[in-house]
Amino acid sequence: MSIDCKHIRNFSIIAHIDHGKSTLADRLLEWTGTVEKRQLKEQMLDDMELERQRGITIKARAVRMEYTHKGEVYELNLIDTPGHVDFHYEVSRSLACCEGAVLLVDAFQGVEAQTVANAYSAINLNLAIVPVINKVDLVHARVDEVLAEMEQSLGLDAADVVLASAKTGIGIDELLAGIVERIPPPAGDPNAVLRAMIFDSHYDSYRGAITYVRLVDGTVRKGQKIRFLETNSTHDVLELGQFVPQRRACEELFAGQVGYLVCNIKDVKQVHIGDTVTIPGDNGATAMPGYKPPQRMVYCGLYPSEGENFEELRDALEKLAINDPSFEYAPESSEALGFGFRCGFLGLLHMEIIQQRLEKEADLDLVQTAPNVTYQIKKTTGEVIEITNPQDVPDTGQIDEFRQPIVRTNFLTPVEHIGPIMQLCTDRRGVYLKTEYLSPTRAMLTFDLPLAEVIYDLHDKLKSVTRGYGTMDYELIGYFPADLARLDILVGSKKVDALSIICDRRDADRRGRSIVKKLRGEIDRHMFEIALQAAIGTKVIARETISAMRKNVTAKCYGGDISRKKKLWAKQKEGKKRMKSIGSVDIPQKAFMAVLDTGADRS
Amino acid sequence: MPAGRLAGARPAIVNAMDSAVPRAAYVHVPFCRHRCGYCDFSLVAGRDDLIERYFQALGRELARVPEPLCLDTLFVGGGTPSHLGVAGLRRLAAVLQDKLILAAGAEATLEANPSDVTPELVEVLREGGFSRLSLGAQSLAPATLAALDRNHTPDDVRRAVEAGLQAGLTVSVDVMIAAPGQSLAAVEQDLEDVLALGGQHVSVYCLTWEKGTRFASLLRQGLLQEAEEDLEREMYELAIERLEGGGLEQYEVSNFARPGHRCRHNETYWDCRPWEGFGPGAARFDGRTRITNHRSPVTWMHRILSGADPSGECDQMTPEEAARERIVVGLRRRDGLVRGEFAAASGFSLDALAGGAILSWVEQGFASDDGQRVRLTRRGLLVSDGLWAAVLGQGA
Ligand SMILES: Nc1nc2c(ncn2[C@@H]2O[C@H](COP(=O)(O)OP(=O)(O)O)[C@@H](O)[C@H]2O)c(=O)[nH]1
Ligand code: SF4
Ligand SMILES: [Mg+2]
Repeated sequence: MSIDCKHIRNFSIIAHIDHGKSTLADRLLEWTGTVEKRQLKEQMLDDMELERQRGITIKARAVRMEYTHKGEVYELNLIDTPGHVDFHYEVSRSLACCEGAVLLVDAFQGVEAQTVANAYSAINLNLAIVPVINKVDLVHARVDEVLAEMEQSLGLDAADVVLASAKTGIGIDELLAGIVERIPPPAGDPNAVLRAMIFDSHYDSYRGAITYVRLVDGTVRKGQKIRFLETNSTHDVLELGQFVPQRRACEELFAGQVGYLVCNIKDVKQVHIGDTVTIPGDNGATAMPGYKPPQRMVYCGLYPSEGENFEELRDALEKLAINDPSFEYAPESSEALGFGFRCGFLGLLHMEIIQQRLEKEADLDLVQTAPNVTYQIKKTTGEVIEITNPQDVPDTGQIDEFRQPIVRTNFLTPVEHIGPIMQLCTDRRGVYLKTEYLSPTRAMLTFDLPLAEVIYDLHDKLKSVTRGYGTMDYELIGYFPADLARLDILVGSKKVDALSIICDRRDADRRGRSIVKKLRGEIDRHMFEIALQAAIGTKVIARETISAMRKNVTAKCYGGDISRKKKLWAKQKEGKKRMKSIGSVDIPQKAFMAVLDTGADRS
Repeated sequence: MPAGRLAGARPAIVNAMDSAVPRAAYVHVPFCRHRCGYCDFSLVAGRDDLIERYFQALGRELARVPEPLCLDTLFVGGGTPSHLGVAGLRRLAAVLQDKLILAAGAEATLEANPSDVTPELVEVLREGGFSRLSLGAQSLAPATLAALDRNHTPDDVRRAVEAGLQAGLTVSVDVMIAAPGQSLAAVEQDLEDVLALGGQHVSVYCLTWEKGTRFASLLRQGLLQEAEEDLEREMYELAIERLEGGGLEQYEVSNFARPGHRCRHNETYWDCRPWEGFGPGAARFDGRTRITNHRSPVTWMHRILSGADPSGECDQMTPEEAARERIVVGLRRRDGLVRGEFAAASGFSLDALAGGAILSWVEQGFASDDGQRVRLTRRGLLVSDGLWAAVLGQGA
């Protein structure tokens, strides 16, 4: 393999979701002959089953392609990135391994919120940008307007934009040429001391941890010893290679290249995303500025539905965490739910995906508590503590300042929907900052909003008030004081810790009423009356009752009926097993999500 | 017509003292004129062409019993056994008589649709040794009968009861409550009218919405509505009060009788004594194992006539499971359970199996316990399905 640095291009494709990134990746694989057309499963790079189901790229993937341009052979390394706001962190991780980015914009949808967010991530990293308008084959394509939007919102030169269709293949050659000509080759020195960055990893039950690396300097060869700086652990390189897109082993990787290392690492804790790989001994390279640790925005409790599966859950979480360093977990216990874990996620979609993967891959039945954001509390002692579980909120007397995360949120929308978006944000205690017009018909609105008001359902609400045309993106700007309180829920006069929430005092009445009402719908009638109360401290602010079962008796019980009825009774018993008993009240698993604010009751 | 007579045709051959040998039998007749909208029983409607094959299959199934059984009770249910008509019932008696013999003083019941009951039919029953007539009356109000999709009239019911009583039969009337659109006042009127009929036995059933019935699908589409739980409870309590006030004692969740007229056949089920069963969907029980025939009349016939086993579900219990089941069916009776009797019959101590549950029921007012006898209170009985989880399946 006689490719030198000058003939390598490392790039990502960035786009708002559904603008055609996966389809374009497929076309590039096909055009470069990396994968033959008939082998091309649609959206080749989305190979996680869940991704296929959801049609979004969750994990970044890397693939090597060869492309001949003006008689010379180039190695193109494409690093695929996810397209959802939750996975921003993965996007920036991938971008840090690249010298350039293909920025994809849908010819009909135009510039959307994540187009802007991702483009700025790339621009901030000094990457060369190759802008593309995709789907020009669409009858409704509005190329000229979209060009204007790209100039307006991103400061790009319309003359640089490649017009393409990932579906029909229009413009793909021009795009490949643009990648080679406009993205600079990597700058590293293959003869320098080895220095590589771990940008991803996954666990293979046969081979141990597979580490994805971008070589910055030097060369790594099969059989050599390497060292991870973070853990200062030394390993033998048993195999190395590139993704084409399956793993293909080779003899060496050198500066500028992207590939993988297999070192028989069974202890997943040794692999840290963002860690630097170098040679053993004192002459190794120094650590590169690693990645910023991911911002966990959302926390929830995950408990095994059957208490005895706690250890299995721990193993499963550990395995997931190596593939996904943005996810964090720590053991906790709840009076109501027993032993489990408090888990931190990038966002709600991320949370849902992790939960599904746990249930699917590890075959575990889970009880999940309603997600909450992280808060900060400055105590009267001056100490600042981070709150990821409402249970940990200290007594009011100890609180000097209760702070919540605020996110700067950009909405991109056709101008006719500006009014409803303003309303939506005002209802959620948003602070209006500005409106910018990208074109006569499209605008970008900026608000500062409490994160808690954004993550649960703002996206759905936005879609509904803009008939699907509005998009949003947000970024944490910090923690700010607010009038917050912990709202507790009592079931049959017993406080259920897993149901507590933190909310703005001004919303407490509304939230309290809505929660007990929802719980009333979730908890079955019992043989006795059940009181449901919402309280702040000792002050009850809302109350509902579930009246006792009035009539529940099988009429016919003759001969063969007995077998049938017994099955029914036994089923009730099974159903009970899958609930959590608090006092003598059986609470179904999904009731723990009832405290989520859907805003349906906002006046 | 002595050939069709079941009773006393032969002396009892089987030892009446052997408690493992059933002294009760159920025969299922799976034919009706039409299928009522709420009904999910094992039957075919409008397929009288299958009746002849049914008799053949029934004869073959009876051949499973090696020696003729001497019965204290026989229950011919359905479907609508009276739909067989006079000739059909004679034929039925002839098929049964080889293997089922009524002991002296036996109780033999036939279920009938009120519109099928004629003096002639009643006469055939008497000849065949039947002593009870169970009428699927459901209501005496034309509106309720229409709501329930029944095709007989209140007068049919009156005539049928009278014919039965006149022939010296014990008459039982089925009453349905919580029918679509039925008011509490309508139930009250029905109860009054039913008492006025003068039968010795009444069964009261709340309408249930069984999967797969036409009613269930109408409910799903919002075209029919279920009665509110509170109303249903009021109706049921009213039934208990009115019937008991009229001299019919409630002796099980759904059953009421004048003294000396309880249905002895059904008491076999609730005492967990063995019984035999023939016909589609019929169950049989040997004290430990309950086997239910395939519910489809056609499959049942086909299997039997092709020499295959018609059994469907088989509920095989350990002695402990059987004892737990005994607690549930026993407590559904107003007499409840007596500790000594329970231990003698089941081999288990009631308190060892359910002591904790009983204690908590007593505390909550769902049961009373005098140290010997445990009975559910009215309150307990009304919500009893919610109690059984604590008794069933533990230790399994
Ligand atoms: N008409 C047309 N449809 C396209 C084109 N590229 C992608 N699509 C469609 O747009 C949808 C989203 O594409 P996908 O590649 O999954 O987008 P991603 O979310 O950015 O990965 C799919 O239904 C594609 O078939 C294109 O050039 N023209
Ligand atoms: S007559 Fe009785 S058995 Fe026949 S369909 Fe109607 S309810 Fe069912
Ligand atoms: Mg995709």
